[in-house]
Amino acid sequence: MPDWLQIIIRSIVFLLLVLVLTRVLGRKVASRMTYFDIVFAMTIGVIAAAISLNLVPIVIGSIALLTWGLLGIGLSFLSLKSKWVRDFIHGREAVVMKDGKIMEDQLMKLRYSPEDLLQQLRSKQIFSVSDVEFAVMESNGEINALLKTNRQPITPKDVGIEVSPSTGVQTVILDGTIMDEALTTMGLNRGWLHTELDKIGVSVDNVFIAQIDTLGDLYLDLFDDVIQIPQASTRQLLLTTLEKAKADCESFSLETNDTTAKQMYQQCAEDLTLIIYDLKPMLK
Amino acid sequence: MTTYAKVKQTLVSLEGAKSTMETLEQITQKAEAAQSLRYNAQKLDVVINRLKKRVQKMEFEEPNYKGF
Repeated sequence: MPDWLQIIIRSIVFLLLVLVLTRVLGRKVASRMTYFDIVFAMTIGVIAAAISLNLVPIVIGSIALLTWGLLGIGLSFLSLKSKWVRDFIHGREAVVMKDGKIMEDQLMKLRYSPEDLLQQLRSKQIFSVSDVEFAVMESNGEINALLKTNRQPITPKDVGIEVSPSTGVQTVILDGTIMDEALTTMGLNRGWLHTELDKIGVSVDNVFIAQIDTLGDLYLDLFDDVIQIPQASTRQLLLTTLEKAKADCESFSLETNDTTAKQMYQQCAEDLTLIIYDLKPMLK
Repeated sequence: MTTYAKVKQTLVSLEGAKSTMETLEQITQKAEAAQSLRYNAQKLDVVINRLKKRVQKMEFEEPNYKGF
């Protein structure tokens, strides 16, 4: 057998072997790999490369590869089962900033330079150390920082605004084809979808993407971008109707001379105000 | 437009709003949203009934309005 053919065959065989090994070892994204994971992956790669280039005898190389592979599988199994093994192999997370102060001795222990720390913080859009309250270095060397309370982005909760419960969106039309499964999950059917499309006045073939949210509002993207779709939804319409009725009741209460009727209209307006307040986050 | 017609219009639009709320309650997947819609539809029903009584009273006082 000529050399070149031998190398091709070896390469293919070991490629497949390494493929199987890495599959068995689990799927970790490269950015989430710890130092140990990287060293391990590199060793396997180097051994496989050495074998396929005929740098080591095939039997010895295979033994090394299999030993590393089996050890790796064993260790990853053990580290799943035991916290101690996990900490030993992958290291544990370390607090590098506490109460807004950098823990220098901790950094030293981790062989982490101040520049590295600053760079990591900058990659999280934090340019000033004074903004950080607390920072942790994860076992893969990534730094996660908690901002000081007055530097954190405002959430609806901070402002005291009520928002509607997050809406799970289902895609019901893709590329002009109706997705029956998604429709069924929402408890709707093709009849409903056709009615909604007829209301807007487009055909299914013209729809590129259609999604519905939990309140049954349809979002459409058409192939023909020239067509303008009416955007007013049932929800907005409902809110406007309620608001208009409230204003009407207020004006009735001003117009009438009958005191009981006046009170009744005022009561109605107040009730409507409460209803609007309650539903607004959902209908907006 | 007479006051009678205006009140009646408001009444009808509120009835429409109530049925929209009931439809949304059927469609929505969130239990909390459905509950809130149901509760508010009931509250709206009280308002509708009050307006209905008012309309009836107006019809009684001014029989010639009836039917508009």
